[in-house]
Amino acid sequence: MGTEHLSKQYDNDLETLRSGVLQMGGLVESQIRGAIDAFAHGNQDLIDQVIANEARVNEFEVQIDDDCSHIIVKRQPAASDLRLIMAISKTVTDLERIGDEAEKIARMSRQIHERGHADLHRFATVRHAADIALSMLRQALDAFARLDAADAASIIRQDVAIDTEFRSILRQLITFMMEDPRTISTALEIVWIAKAIERIGDHAKNIAEDVIYIVKGTDVRHTAVEVVEREALS
Amino acid sequence: MSASAGFMNLYSRRLWINRFNLAVSLLTMLIGLFWLGWILWTLFEAGFSALGPALFFTMTPPPGASGGLSNAIAGSLIMAAMGTLIGTPIGMMAGIYLAEFGSRGWLAPVTRFINDILLSAPSIVVGLFVYEVYVIQTRHFSAWAGTMALALIVIPVVIRTTENMLRLVPDSLREAAAALGAPQWKVITLVTVRAAKAGIVTGVLLAVARISGETAPLLFTALNNQFWSLDMNQPMANLPVVIFQFAMSPYENWQHLAWAGALIITLGVLVLNILARVFFRNKSPTY
Amino acid sequence: MNAAVLQPLQETLAQKIQVKNLNFYYGGFHALKDINLQIPEKRVTAFIGPSGCGKSTLLRTFNRMYALYPKQEARGEILIDGDDILSPRQDLNRLRAKVGMVFQKPTPFPMSIHDNIAFGVRLYESLSMREMEERVEWALRKAALWEEVKDKLKQSGTSLSGGQQQRLCIARGIAVKPEVLLLDEPASALDPISTGRIEELVHELKNDYTIVIVTHNMQQAARVSDYTAYMYLGEMVEFGVTDEVFIKPRKKETEDYITGRFG
Repeated sequence: MGTEHLSKQYDNDLETLRSGVLQMGGLVESQIRGAIDAFAHGNQDLIDQVIANEARVNEFEVQIDDDCSHIIVKRQPAASDLRLIMAISKTVTDLERIGDEAEKIARMSRQIHERGHADLHRFATVRHAADIALSMLRQALDAFARLDAADAASIIRQDVAIDTEFRSILRQLITFMMEDPRTISTALEIVWIAKAIERIGDHAKNIAEDVIYIVKGTDVRHTAVEVVEREALS
Repeated sequence: MSASAGFMNLYSRRLWINRFNLAVSLLTMLIGLFWLGWILWTLFEAGFSALGPALFFTMTPPPGASGGLSNAIAGSLIMAAMGTLIGTPIGMMAGIYLAEFGSRGWLAPVTRFINDILLSAPSIVVGLFVYEVYVIQTRHFSAWAGTMALALIVIPVVIRTTENMLRLVPDSLREAAAALGAPQWKVITLVTVRAAKAGIVTGVLLAVARISGETAPLLFTALNNQFWSLDMNQPMANLPVVIFQFAMSPYENWQHLAWAGALIITLGVLVLNILARVFFRNKSPTY
Repeated sequence: MNAAVLQPLQETLAQKIQVKNLNFYYGGFHALKDINLQIPEKRVTAFIGPSGCGKSTLLRTFNRMYALYPKQEARGEILIDGDDILSPRQDLNRLRAKVGMVFQKPTPFPMSIHDNIAFGVRLYESLSMREMEERVEWALRKAALWEEVKDKLKQSGTSLSGGQQQRLCIARGIAVKPEVLLLDEPASALDPISTGRIEELVHELKNDYTIVIVTHNMQQAARVSDYTAYMYLGEMVEFGVTDEVFIKPRKKETEDYITGRFG
């Protein structure tokens, strides 16, 4: 964020914090990918790995929040530093929840594949929705790394796309269930998976809003998309 | 091994140099104290026996007769008191002017310079001045002349100490008083002078101590008086001139009285100095 | 939180002090450059900035304290309640009775605690002994010092601890019932607890007086003030509602100073 602080230690601390967030983001991204692959192919090892990694995601959250507290008590940050710390604390919470959703997807996938007899190729839409969510997350983390408010604003529009996908998945599943009542359990699990993906999109949107707060100082939560774009590009 | 030996050499060399210098300073101090001690001892030895009620209540006698120093003591007290009473207010006002108003203009630096000269002027010069200006005009010696001479010695001392003590008062105190809306004269009288009170009083006490022993100025102004006289327009007896006269005489009783007089003056100055110290020490700095 | 200032820019406050095109010189040195500023009434305004930025200099123009020293000169206009105090017709002593000041170093007068407080009051009011005692008690209560000194009003003001002395100076300042209180780094010579007490005091005094405080402690400015002015090298860089200045400053220079990116 511009020039350096008088205290090199402060700069180092902030750098550690930032890279911690990005690392956690990378881990969460791979969790999502792993969970979606597991859904598509039922790879047991992959499922186990995703579930095991969930602990690491939680560790990250605890560690980063702790680091934030330390910086607050030591440096009494103001202005942009303050907004950065506040935003990181919230972003980390969102990332942890995304990790939770990824784990849920993995668990559901396990159940689906254990039950068997589901033609999951029909659910490319699920894959598609997941891709959108994943790209939103990656874009949000990228915007965080570069502190680019304009980029962050464009993510918020994409959330609408996920909602549309979600509704079409629901319609597909209803048809599925009506065709063959034996598939209802699996279908319901797919609903949860789709819901989880939708939530991942929401969390990615939150992270984008946090980035706008850091850069512009305006809290754009719960405001209309047009207002957000105006703020971000001002 | 050799390094630490070298270190020890350096250390013990320094130790011995230190001890040597300490010894030399002690020695020179003792030498100085020796003379001081001898003077005081001589004074006591020679004058102590004469101390007693007779000394304070009988007048100076003619040669050979017995008597005391009452008129000389009274005269010294009166002239010192009057000189201080006249010189102190003048000195204080001037000191206040220099300290509080002296930052602007040319008058202050010039005054300070002249004051410094007067401070170290030989007192005989002051005496001669008063002789020329007053004694010759009135055609006789008088206690007023003596008072004037003493006042002229008091003034520079009081100016100097007053100014110095006032300068020690920090500006923050003046600003605090001014910030309440006090006009400058109130700031000076109610706050600044009050804060420097202890120091100023000490300065006055030291001025008094100084004039108690001055002989030369009185020689040309008040001269001396054998008899008891409190008339300010006539010559007045005083200790320094009496000592001068009696000590150089061949009469034993007079010499004895001279020693007694010297002892009294010394004791008086001692008491004044102690007073000044005690007074100053008791007041912790009020700023 | 200063609930009264949530909608700051819509708030129409009376402007107690208006500074217009103020320039200040220490001899040949141009210490304040073209300052324009409005100090709102019955609020706390803080001046912050690095050493030598001119914040104390600006504060001291409000009661013309610089007039005590020969080579200091102010040009421009400073209006307090509409009257230009820089005009040569201004009665300095009356001005200072209306605009009080507390300094960085506690400066109790060399007199009793009672007399310290009575000093300022006696300058412009003649009160009976009873009224004076009431006024002294009132001032000491306001300065949160009454309980600690009520039994020793005759003792010298210098016998108090540092924090108490500073509160005594504050009591002395408010005893004359000024309209404006200028505080020049009032807590910087004090320990944290005394500092906290002084900050509490400022918060309570705000209801009755317009307060301007100079501080080099940014967190103190953030805690205590409603409005903050950031100065640098004799210029007014930014002035605004405190919360905004500290969370979302408008100028990069302000941001750099507040976040410690100076240098």
